[in-house]
Amino acid sequence: MSDQEKDPVVHSSLSKALVIWSALLALSMVWGLYDEMYGIRPWKGYQARFEKLYRHYLATARLSEADREKQIRSQPEYKLLDRDTQAAEKAVMPEASAIDVEVNPLVLKILALNDPFQEVRSHIGALTYQIEVSKSESTKDSLRKQIVELRAEVHKVALPGEKEKRSMTFGDMEKQLTEWKARKAELLQRMVTVMKRATDLRAQRDKYLSDRISDASLDTLSSVENSLSKFDIRIRQIHIKDVDLVDRCESCHMGIREPVRLTAASMGGEAVFTSHPDKELLKIHDPEKFGCTPCHGGNGAALSSVEKAHGYNKYWLWPMHHPENIEAGCQQCHVKEIVTEQADTLNAGREIFRLRGCMGCHRYEGFDREGDEIASVNQQIHQDEQQKAEWTREAGFAEQAANNPKTTNAEAQKLYAHANDLKVRSSGIDAQIEQLDMRSESLVREVKKVGPSLKEVRMKLRKEWIPEWLKDPHVWREGTKMPSFRLDQEEIRAIAAYIWQSGVQGDLPSQKSGDPEKGREAFETRGCMACHSMGEGGQKQGGTFAANLSREGEKANYDYLVRWVHNPRQRTAPYCPYEKKDLTAADYQKHGLPFVFDLGHDKCPNDGHELQVQQMTPMPNLRLTEDEARDIASYLMTRKHSGATYSGASFMDDPALKNKGLAAIRNYGCAGCHEIAGLEDEQRIGTELTKEGSKPIERLDFALLGHKAEEEGWMTHKGFFEHKLADPAVYDQGKEKARQDRLKMPNFNFSKPEIDAVTTFLEGSVDASVPPRYFYTPADQRQDIIEGWWLVRKYNCMGCHRVHVGQTTVLDGMARYQDPDWRDQKPPTLIGEGARVNPEWLMRFLNNPALSETDTNRDGVRQYLKARMPTFSFSDGEVRKIVRFFEALSSQAQPFIADKLEPLTDQERTMARQLFTSEAAPCLKCHMTGDPAHDARATAPNFTVAKDRLKPGWTKRWILAPAMMSPGTAMPSNLFVKPDDHWIFAGPLPASFNGYAKDQADLLVRYMFQFTPEELSRLRSSMGSGK
Amino acid sequence: MDFHQLWTIVSTPDNVPIVLLLFLVPFYTWYGMRQAFANDRLIAELEANPEMAKTHHRKTQPYKTGWAKEVHVWPYLLRIEFLAAIILTVILMVWSITLNAPLEEPSNPTLTMNPSKAPWYFLGLQEMLVYFDPWMAGVVMPSLIIVGLMVIPYIDTNPLGNGYYTYKQRKFSILTFIFGFIVLWVSMIVIGTLIRGPGWMWFWPGTTWDHNRLIFEVNRDLPDIFGITTRVPKIIFGGIVVGLYLVAAGIGIHKLITKTAFNRKIYARMSVLQYVVMQTFLIIMLSLPVKILARLLFRIKYIWVTPWFNI
Repeated sequence: MSDQEKDPVVHSSLSKALVIWSALLALSMVWGLYDEMYGIRPWKGYQARFEKLYRHYLATARLSEADREKQIRSQPEYKLLDRDTQAAEKAVMPEASAIDVEVNPLVLKILALNDPFQEVRSHIGALTYQIEVSKSESTKDSLRKQIVELRAEVHKVALPGEKEKRSMTFGDMEKQLTEWKARKAELLQRMVTVMKRATDLRAQRDKYLSDRISDASLDTLSSVENSLSKFDIRIRQIHIKDVDLVDRCESCHMGIREPVRLTAASMGGEAVFTSHPDKELLKIHDPEKFGCTPCHGGNGAALSSVEKAHGYNKYWLWPMHHPENIEAGCQQCHVKEIVTEQADTLNAGREIFRLRGCMGCHRYEGFDREGDEIASVNQQIHQDEQQKAEWTREAGFAEQAANNPKTTNAEAQKLYAHANDLKVRSSGIDAQIEQLDMRSESLVREVKKVGPSLKEVRMKLRKEWIPEWLKDPHVWREGTKMPSFRLDQEEIRAIAAYIWQSGVQGDLPSQKSGDPEKGREAFETRGCMACHSMGEGGQKQGGTFAANLSREGEKANYDYLVRWVHNPRQRTAPYCPYEKKDLTAADYQKHGLPFVFDLGHDKCPNDGHELQVQQMTPMPNLRLTEDEARDIASYLMTRKHSGATYSGASFMDDPALKNKGLAAIRNYGCAGCHEIAGLEDEQRIGTELTKEGSKPIERLDFALLGHKAEEEGWMTHKGFFEHKLADPAVYDQGKEKARQDRLKMPNFNFSKPEIDAVTTFLEGSVDASVPPRYFYTPADQRQDIIEGWWLVRKYNCMGCHRVHVGQTTVLDGMARYQDPDWRDQKPPTLIGEGARVNPEWLMRFLNNPALSETDTNRDGVRQYLKARMPTFSFSDGEVRKIVRFFEALSSQAQPFIADKLEPLTDQERTMARQLFTSEAAPCLKCHMTGDPAHDARATAPNFTVAKDRLKPGWTKRWILAPAMMSPGTAMPSNLFVKPDDHWIFAGPLPASFNGYAKDQADLLVRYMFQFTPEELSRLRSSMGSGK
Repeated sequence: MDFHQLWTIVSTPDNVPIVLLLFLVPFYTWYGMRQAFANDRLIAELEANPEMAKTHHRKTQPYKTGWAKEVHVWPYLLRIEFLAAIILTVILMVWSITLNAPLEEPSNPTLTMNPSKAPWYFLGLQEMLVYFDPWMAGVVMPSLIIVGLMVIPYIDTNPLGNGYYTYKQRKFSILTFIFGFIVLWVSMIVIGTLIRGPGWMWFWPGTTWDHNRLIFEVNRDLPDIFGITTRVPKIIFGGIVVGLYLVAAGIGIHKLITKTAFNRKIYARMSVLQYVVMQTFLIIMLSLPVKILARLLFRIKYIWVTPWFNI
C-alpha cells in the first residue's frame, strides 16, 4: 500500500495540528486575560502614566518652589514667628515631657489589662443573653449562678512594669481600668493646655507661609507626594445617590481636583491629566454633589474606551459637549436666565436668539413672554365680561320671575336672594377685570417687537426702497438684524404691496430743515451710538443693538424722522387689542373725545380697555428739543450712497397683489418681528425650541443629508444646528417641494462664533434629566438678579453703563471717548449702584430721568453730560425689577431703611462748611452748583440731590476711597487718613477743628445729608465773596 | 453600490451569525450530500452485485479504496473531536473578545426604532408577518412548525438510512427538509436581516437604506380584484379559493409522493392517519411560498377575508 492510499483517519498524526491549535488556544486565553485586565480597562494605563508624570512634576515643582519658600522663610516676620514658635515649644518642653513620661507606661498598662477584662465581660454578656431568651426558670437560675462564679473568679494578670502577676477579680479589673483611663484623659488634657500657645503660633506661622505662596506650598507638595506613595490603581468614581449618578471620569482625568495646578505642558503634554481650568466654578458646583456628566455630558459610567466614556457613540443620548459648546451644560439648569456669569458664549447665544428675532418665530419658554401674556389677559377679560353679562341677564330673569304675581312669597324671596347674589358676584368680576386691565396696561408698555412697525411705512419710508430691501437686506445694509429670506420676484412684489396698502394713514406736520452739522454732533454725543452704528465696513462705529444708519437718507421720510427722533414711541394711531383694530379720529369723535392718546390717555373710547399707544420699540425718548430732533434728522438724511437708484414701484398700489402678499407674509412669519396691520395676533410659525437639544435625533429632519451626515460624523444635535444655522435651507437640498412647503427659516448670515453661540444655547436646551435641586432657582435676592438681567438686556443698558465688573460699554470703545477731555463725559458706571443710591429715588429717577415735570430737557443728576439718560417709559413692574436688580447686585437688604443721621450742631455745621470750601477740598469746584456758567465745566452731580439719592454709608466709603470703587474717577482719593480709630482730614484743617474728637468723614456726610438749595446758594455766595 | 451601507449591515455584531450562516449552511449541505452520493453509489453497486453484498453488509463505502471502513471511537474519533473542540474554543474566544454585544439607547416608548428587528433567530417569523395575518404568522404557524417537527418520527415509515448518509433512499424526506429549512426558514432569516431596511421595505444588498424612501405599493385582497366587495360573498369566495388550493395542493403532493416505485412502497406502509397528518403539514408548508409569491408578484394581501381570521 502506498502512502497516499493510507487512511488518514487511522494513519495520520494529529499531533502537529494539536500542538498548533493548543498553542493558539493558550494564546487566545492570554489575549482574553490581557483584554480583561488592560484591553477593556484603558484607565489602568492612564493611572500608571499619571502617577509617573505627577511624581516627576512634583519633583521639579519642588525645586522652584523651594527657592521661593526659602525666600519667604528668610523674611523677618516669618523668622520672628518661627522663633516665637520654637521658643514657646522649648519653654513648655520640660512640662510636656514630664507628662509624656507619665502617660506612656499608663497606655501600656491599660492595653495589657484590657484583654482579660474584655474576655470576662464578653462571656458575661453571652450568658446574660441566654438568660434573656431561655424559657425555663431553672436554666435561668443556673446561668445566673454561672455569672456570679465568673465575677468571683480570680485572674492572674501580668502588667508591664510590675514583676509580680496581680490577682484580680472582674470587679477589680473594671475599677482599675476606669481609674487609669480617667488619669490618662486628665494628663492629655493638661498636655493640650500646656501646648496651646506653641500650637497657635505654629498655625500662625504656617498660615503666613501659605498666604504668600500662590500655588502650592512645599507642605502641599509633600502631602501630595505622600498620598502618591500610597497610590493604587483603582476606579475613581463619584456616586450621587439621589440622582443615581455614577461618574468615573476621574479614573483617567486624575488631575482634575488636584490641589496643584496641572497643565498639559507640566504633565508631559497629556491634556487628559490637566486640572480643571476653573477652580472657582468647581467650588460652586462641587463634583461630590453635582458629578461631572450633568454639566459636561458623556457617559460617566463607561470606562472601556475614550469614545464611549465621552458619549461619542451613536446610541448615547448625551454626548459630551465640544469645547466650543461647553457652556451648553450651564443652560440646562440655568434655564431661567438671560445672563449667566462666566458663560459668555451661552450668553451670546441667548442674546442672538432674543435680539436677532429667533424668538419671533420660535417659542422658547421665558423669551418674549409679554406678547403671549397680552393674548391670554385679553382672553380672560373677554371671558369675564361674558360671564358678567350672563349673570346680569340671569339676575334680570330672576327678578322678573319674582315680580310675577303667580310666584309664591317664599319662592319670590328665594329668587330675589339669587338675583342679589349674582349682582354681588358680578361686581366681583369688575374688580377682577380692573386688575387684568392694570396688568394689560403694564404689558402693552412692556411688549416690544424685534423689528420696526410696518403700519407706518406710508409715512416713514420711501416707497421704492421697500422691494429693494426685501430682495436681500444684508446686501443693502451689511450685518443688519433682518435676515435674508429666499423670496422670488413675485413674492417680493406681493409682500411690498400688502405692507404698503395696509399701512395706516396719518397727518405728519411738515418740518423745516435743521442743521446737519449740529445734528451730527448731537447724534455722536447724545448717546445714540450706544445702540446705533454709523459708517460702513472698517469705518463702522457704535453699537449693534439697533440699526446701522449709514444709508438712512435713502429710505426715510424727513418729516417722519423728525417725529421719530423727537419721540420714537409716538404712534400715528392707537391699536385696540380688544377690538383688534387701529383706532381713527372717527372713533374718538363718536364719543365726543379729542383724538389724543398717550400714556396718560390709554383707554379705548369704544370699550374702555387698554390701548397700545406706543410704538413697540425699545428705543427710548431722549427728551430732545424739536430743533435738536430736526438737526439729527437732517444729519441722518445726509447719510446715503450717492449713486443708489431705485426702480419704480407702482405695482405696490395694485390691489390684486394684496391678498397674495398677505399669504406670503403669513407663510414667512413676518409678524413675528414686525407689527403689521391685520396680523397683530399672528402665532409663531416655527417649532418650539425650549427642549430642542433633547429631541430624539430621529425627529430632527436631516432629509436627504442623513447619510452624508452619518458618514461625515455630524448626525448629532450639534451637527444639525450648525448646518441649519449656516445655511437654513440646507435640508431642502435635492428635495422636490412646492414653494410654500420649503423651509422658511431665513438666513441670518451668522459668523462662526455666532453659530457656536446659538448652537451652545440650543444644545443646552434640554429636558434635563437631573433632579430639581440641580436647577438654579434661588429664593433670595439672586432671583432679582436673574430677572433684572432680562431688562438690562432688553433696553441695552450696557451700551452706556458698566453694570458688572469686567464689562466695557459701547461708548468705551468709541474713538471720541478715548480723548481725555471726553473721558469724563462717559455715562456713570453702575457697579455698586444698589449700594450707592436710595431705591426710592432710583425708582423716581427711572420713571423720570429729568427729575422734573417742567424742565424735561435735561438729565436729573448729571446735567453736565452730553449723553443723556433717556426716558424708557418703563412699566411699574419693570422699574421695580430694575431697582431690585441693582439692590441685589450690591446685596442690599430689602426693603431699604435709611440710616438715621445725627443732626448737626451749629458748631459742627460751621466746621463742615469750612471744610467743604477749604482750599484743600474744593468740593464745589467739580460738583455742580446750579450756576450755568460753572455747571458747563462741572464733572460731578449737585449736592442738593445727594440727600434723596444716596445712602450715607456708601457716601462715606466713597469719600474715603473713590478710586477703589471707580478706577479713573476724577474724585480725589486719600482725602482722609486714619491715624487711630477715626478718620481725619488729610489736608490743613481749619482752626475750628482743634479739639474735635469725632470722625471728620462722618461729619462731612452728615453735612451733605442736610444740604439744601439755600445752603448751596449761601456757600456759593460765600465762595464768590471769598474770591 | 453603497459599500458603506453594505459594510454597516454585514459588520453589525448582531448580523455576523447570519453572514456565517450564508456560507456555512450551503457548505455543510454540500458536504453531507457528497457523502450521501458516495454511499448511494455503493448501494447501487451492492444491489447490482449480490456477491459483493455479502462482504459489504454495511451500506457504507470507505472514502477511498483501501481506507478503513470502520475505526474505533477511541482514539480515532475522539482525537478528532478533541481537535475540533479546541479549534471551536479558539474561534469562540477570539469572537467574544473582538465583537461586543451591541447595546443601544434606552428604550423610549414614544419612539420606536426603524427598522425594528427581532433577534436574528426570530427574523424568519417576523418576515412571515409580511405575508400573513399576525395571528396566523405569530401564533398558528409557529405552533404548527413545532408540532410538525414533533410528529416527524411518527409519520416516517421509511426504515432505510439509519446511521449513514444517503440521498437515494430518503429522497422525499431530504427534499422536504431542504425545502422547509433552507428555502423557507434560512432564506427568510437572511431576507429579514440583510434585505429588510427602514419601513421593512425591500432593499437589495448594496443599496442605501434610505429613511426617506417612498414606494408605491397597494396591497389588495383577492376578492377585491374580482370586484367582490360585500362581506358574505367575500367570505364565500375566499373559502372557495382556499378550498381549491387545499384540493389542488393535496392532489399535487399525492402525485409527488406516489411518483416513484420506491415512494409508492413507503406510501403503502403508511396508515391513513399517518398519511393524513403528513398531507396536512405539507399542504400548510406549501402555502407559505404560495402566499409569498402571491404577495410579492401580485400584491395580494389576503385571500380569504373573514371577520374572524384572514388568510
